[in-house]
Amino acid sequence: MHEGQSKEYYVYSPWLRIFHWLMVGSVVILFATGLYIGNPFFAASRGSEPAFGPLAMNNIRYVHFAAAYVLVFAFILRVYGFAVNKGDRLLPKFWTALYWRGLVDTTLHYLFLRSAHEPYLRNSLARSSYLAVYVLLAVEAITGFAMYTMVNPNGLGAKFFGPVNSLLGGEYTVHIVHHCVAWLIVLFAIVHVYMAIRADFMEREGEVSSMFSGVKFYAHEPADIGDIADDNGTTCPAADRAGHRQHTAQG
Amino acid sequence: MDHCHSLWGLFQSRGLSRRSFLKTCAAVAGLLGLPPAMLPEVVAAAEKKTLPPVIWLHGHECTGCDESFIRSQSPLASDVVLTMISLEYSDTLSAAAGEPLEHHLQELMKKYAGQYILAVEGGVPLADEGVHCMVGGRTFLAALKEAAAGAAAIVEYGSCAAWGGIQAAKPNPTKSVAVSDVISGKPIVKVPGCPPIPEVMTAVVMHFALFGQLPPLDGQGRPKQFYGNRIHDTCYRRPFFDAGMFVEKFDDAGAKAGWCLYKVGCRGPVAYNSCGNMRWWNGLSYPIQSGAPCFACGSPNFWDNGPFYERLPDVPLPGTIADADKVGMVAAGVAAAGVVVHGALSAVQKNKQSKQQDTIVRGPEA
Repeated sequence: MHEGQSKEYYVYSPWLRIFHWLMVGSVVILFATGLYIGNPFFAASRGSEPAFGPLAMNNIRYVHFAAAYVLVFAFILRVYGFAVNKGDRLLPKFWTALYWRGLVDTTLHYLFLRSAHEPYLRNSLARSSYLAVYVLLAVEAITGFAMYTMVNPNGLGAKFFGPVNSLLGGEYTVHIVHHCVAWLIVLFAIVHVYMAIRADFMEREGEVSSMFSGVKFYAHEPADIGDIADDNGTTCPAADRAGHRQHTAQG
Repeated sequence: MDHCHSLWGLFQSRGLSRRSFLKTCAAVAGLLGLPPAMLPEVVAAAEKKTLPPVIWLHGHECTGCDESFIRSQSPLASDVVLTMISLEYSDTLSAAAGEPLEHHLQELMKKYAGQYILAVEGGVPLADEGVHCMVGGRTFLAALKEAAAGAAAIVEYGSCAAWGGIQAAKPNPTKSVAVSDVISGKPIVKVPGCPPIPEVMTAVVMHFALFGQLPPLDGQGRPKQFYGNRIHDTCYRRPFFDAGMFVEKFDDAGAKAGWCLYKVGCRGPVAYNSCGNMRWWNGLSYPIQSGAPCFACGSPNFWDNGPFYERLPDVPLPGTIADADKVGMVAAGVAAAGVVVHGALSAVQKNKQSKQQDTIVRGPEA
């Protein structure tokens, strides 16, 4: 960690990075508008007759639905990146010893019981929490469409999503699940932003900038380098499909 | 009553004109939610179909559905009972009572086996072998099973018959369940509501009487033409919702001005019923119109979705009264404080390490 030389590793495809920032934007908008929809805490218009100002419930719901569609369709980018780039596939591999070793290693480090953890492209805790947040987002999307499509119970959308309402024990429960899971996503976001910034300070591997550039820097070879290794088994730094030049960051 | 009569036959035997018969058919078609093009079929059915005998059982319930039904305005409940269907057995409406009535029921079930419509009001308590609801000296469970065996179709009137009812609220001490939970193999239509709209009750039984089959049902077994819309989407107060104008308290200016009841717990956004279109008592009013938030009384388990005058229920945390937003805000605050403390501790640890390893070479950005 202190040779003063870090190697550059290309990890994330542009598709993943674009998806990430679209997700950030839409989740922020969805949460803000969703809070208002769940509890309209300010009166949008004065007088006693309905008047449609820019912050009327109607418009706020429209923004909520639009942001939801952006998030859902942005996921196509994530899937495409997953298909074409190995660095986009850093999901928890529960069946490997490395995953469980890394889980203990990282947890001990976060509890201040270990001064540092091994270098990882993505540590086991992060892998697990990212998978969990995808699950949470899927729950939001499914419950969201379950409510949204039932405006026309005979429509095509309600054919797909309507049964979710009965499965979860009624549409009222679906509202509440949607509401509570939104808070879980916000809790994730708080910890995630902190952890990313902290990793940048502590490990200096370019954790934050990697979500812009796609590149991370390691003084030692990451323990999970096998996940982005070439098919012939070599682990060549910055040897991505786009043909990144191999070079070292000056120490 | 002679059961070989059709509706037209009845009109003739009472000396009523063809014109009034056709008007009645048009009214029935409208009530059933059928397009005008279907009118000839309604007339044909009303001319030929014999009126079906109806057996109406009462179980674990308050008979509020009866109270609703007898206030049906178009058609009048009296017309339904006396001319449109042949209501042969009803514990609450029959003039006869006791042994003779029960004897009549037994005869009916034999005579019209496989032909009669079984209307059921009330849930079925299963606990303690069903002794929590006794009808005619027997458990309701036994009476229901016997009557259902020969029924052509079963109509579950009210939320008790359809979902188990108020008495099925947690912890459901009598283990009250819906009729369809104990009866299978019969066409069953759910007409939930607490009570259902009277015209909906009459229309569903008329649909079967005229066409010999149940109306199209939604995913939960309710007739689509009456449960196909959200209360929220058919609400005359919807413009206030869309404009963001809400009643905050039941005695505020918004309540007086008739604003949206969403914030005082209205379940319109999750309720499917015809209150918004048909209203009650010949279109006179319905709960929201009278300033009361909808309870979603036609939805399963509405009784457990309290409190009724809150948008969000309290989170079941011991010793607290807080909804999801309050819990979320506290959790977010704790998480924020947690990351600040963790960050500070991380900095201390990092500092200690750096001091121990003076040889560390910092990166170019440091």
